[in-house]
Amino acid sequence: MENVVYEKKDLYYPVMSDILSVETLTAMEKRFQIAMPENQPLNHKPGQFVEVSLFGFGEAPISICSSPTRSPNFELTVRATGRLTDKMHMLEAGSRLGIRGPFGHGFDVDVFKGKDVLFVAGGIGLAPLKSLIDYTLDKREDFNKVKIIYGTKNPAEILFPKAIEEWRQKDDVEFDMTVDRADKSWKGNVGVITTIIPPLQLDVENTVVAVCGPPVMYRFVLMALKAKRIPDDNIYISLERRMKCGVGKCGHCQINDVYVCQDGPVFHYPHVKSLEEAI
Amino acid sequence: MNQKLNNINEMKCQFLDENATYDFLKFLKGRSKVFAPHRKGEASYIYDEVSDVKDVVLQYPRTIQPLKKYFLPPRETLLSFNIDENNFTESEINVEPRIFFGIHAYEMEGVMRLDYTFEQGQPESNYLTRREQSTFIGISYEPDEYHFSKSLGIDIDSVDGFSLYFKKTDNGYYVYEIDAAGQQLMKEFGKGKRVDIPVTKEEPEFTNKIKYHYNRLPQIFEHVYDSKVWEEVAERCVGCGTCNLLCPTCYCFDVRDEVEINATEGKRERFWDGCMLNPFAEVAGNENFREKLSSRTRHRLYRKFKYITNKSGELHCVGCGRCSKYCPADISITKIINNLIDDYADRQQKQVI
Ligand SMILES: Cc1cc2nc3c(=O)[nH]c(=O)nc-3n(C[C@H](O)[C@H](O)[C@H](O)COP(=O)(O)OP(=O)(O)OC[C@H]3O[C@@H](n4cnc5c(N)ncnc54)[C@H](O)[C@@H]3O)c2cc1C
Ligand code: SF4
Ligand code: SF4
Ligand code: FES
Repeated sequence: MENVVYEKKDLYYPVMSDILSVETLTAMEKRFQIAMPENQPLNHKPGQFVEVSLFGFGEAPISICSSPTRSPNFELTVRATGRLTDKMHMLEAGSRLGIRGPFGHGFDVDVFKGKDVLFVAGGIGLAPLKSLIDYTLDKREDFNKVKIIYGTKNPAEILFPKAIEEWRQKDDVEFDMTVDRADKSWKGNVGVITTIIPPLQLDVENTVVAVCGPPVMYRFVLMALKAKRIPDDNIYISLERRMKCGVGKCGHCQINDVYVCQDGPVFHYPHVKSLEEAI
Repeated sequence: MNQKLNNINEMKCQFLDENATYDFLKFLKGRSKVFAPHRKGEASYIYDEVSDVKDVVLQYPRTIQPLKKYFLPPRETLLSFNIDENNFTESEINVEPRIFFGIHAYEMEGVMRLDYTFEQGQPESNYLTRREQSTFIGISYEPDEYHFSKSLGIDIDSVDGFSLYFKKTDNGYYVYEIDAAGQQLMKEFGKGKRVDIPVTKEEPEFTNKIKYHYNRLPQIFEHVYDSKVWEEVAERCVGCGTCNLLCPTCYCFDVRDEVEINATEGKRERFWDGCMLNPFAEVAGNENFREKLSSRTRHRLYRKFKYITNKSGELHCVGCGRCSKYCPADISITKIINNLIDDYADRQQKQVI
């Protein structure tokens, strides 16, 4: 192996970065604004993720929820679900955390250019999609129609109410959402996200769809899109798997022969359709 | 790839009797650290650093743990941190020249498969640094009822990766100089007797075999994803992960932060992990993408015979037999493969009728 040419890389050292601000979004989710040393841009693509590192608590893969058009700083939206994410929720502006990445394969934005774009977000899946949504809105003239649909369990879990209000106001964005269970104040749609797909007016051949949500959502959303006659070729989905390294080494994120941390998390749907373990 | 001894016309060969072989080990020890098979209990063997050459076992069926432990340690510190100061120090990996003596051909092939894993994509410095400055000296062995490397194209005398190869003969070894480093070692040792006998002796038979030629295995694996064999195996498997941990080509790992009692300092460590263990593919919300033992067994086998093979062109099982010998449920990998072949052939036949 002495004559093989490769450049050895230190893959596991985080870059210590500053938390600029922390915003409480819901009872479960907070948004963190983060700056790399010397305000270096992260140079990410929408759909990519970082490994967040907190000493004593390990690392967790978290999607970048801000658009690269709004660099140099970037944002993460984190749901408190366990050791690391609970600890992260205790951090305040001025704290530091470790960042490795950006990792993975994001959305191929060029494919979306000139097309109608449909975003389908379920639950915390809106966070990873927000990166691409903001990118699309910042370069609005590059895209044709923009439609966003969003489903969440109940009104209290709505992630980005301010952004949603802006999207509702915009003439060049169509926004619709639904909740699984309404409360007294809720006036909008009630039902799972697949109930707001059938009424959509779509130029199906010319529409590219980006889907992100909890694992259970995909099968049903994909069925609903199929019923709308959207070609599989026009669908991109972002998948979540357990991850330990983010760099294609630990084996945890494998779906059949695919490494989600390298080949994904964003996949062209025809690519994963054939994979038994994918959806 | 497989260089066989008989194919190398110009191969230099010397003879060392058993005593001279131990002298050679002493000579090696004078140059650098030497690692070789040692006895562990009644009939078990492990690789260990040589302190007294007399403890080295020359003829053994296999060690419990594969050689990967020297390049991908079972537990390894990735970095050390201080929680109060919220910073970390990098881990230094110091390697010195190491000689690995008494290595079987399948084991060497196993190391070369791991090389592929850690070089491709993002070349990982931890493994690759540890892997530097290693010299391997091979030795022949008598296959037992678990070895089946020949069915995978790895002969007892496959010498790829070795600097020297010791082939057992009556009361000693023919020593073949495979590369320049090996040649240099023999020259400096200076006690070998030059011989020029070509290898004529037939290799001992492997009793454990795969029914089809190994070239056909990736094709078989195209057709057995839904085979009933996976469920049959899963009925007996207890999901202990031994087959992963002892496999020379398995490399999956877990990473955990271990904090000291003072709650200030700690280490980020990685440990061998295995896809047969239940939480391996679990994510938030209690979703587990490979919950069933049948799908985990299938994943393990597909990793050896298809997934990586599609990319690297090589099978990632080397036929060492460890997963079968040490399985508490007596699950044999060759039986799984042969059953898959039967199932495939059955179904082909039905299609014809
Ligand atoms: C590509 C990708 C992007 C993600 N983006 C976001 C995001 O933007 N926001 C967000 O809040 N979460 C995101 N997640 C999920 C997040 O990584 C996990 O919630 C987090 O790792 C849990 O860590 P913990 O230490 O807090 O929980 P733990 O105490 O470790 O475990 C809590 C639960 O999380 C599961 N879990 C543990 N490790 C992982 C892991 N590496 N991946 C998935 N589940 C795991 C456990 O099985 C358990 O059910 C993403 C995951 C992936 C793979
Ligand atoms: S060693 Fe045997 S029982 Fe244990 S996980 Fe592997 S196949 Fe199952
Ligand atoms: S799968 Fe079993 S026989 Fe094959 S290399 Fe691994 S431990 Fe050895
Ligand atoms: S996260 Fe380790 S291989 Fe993908």
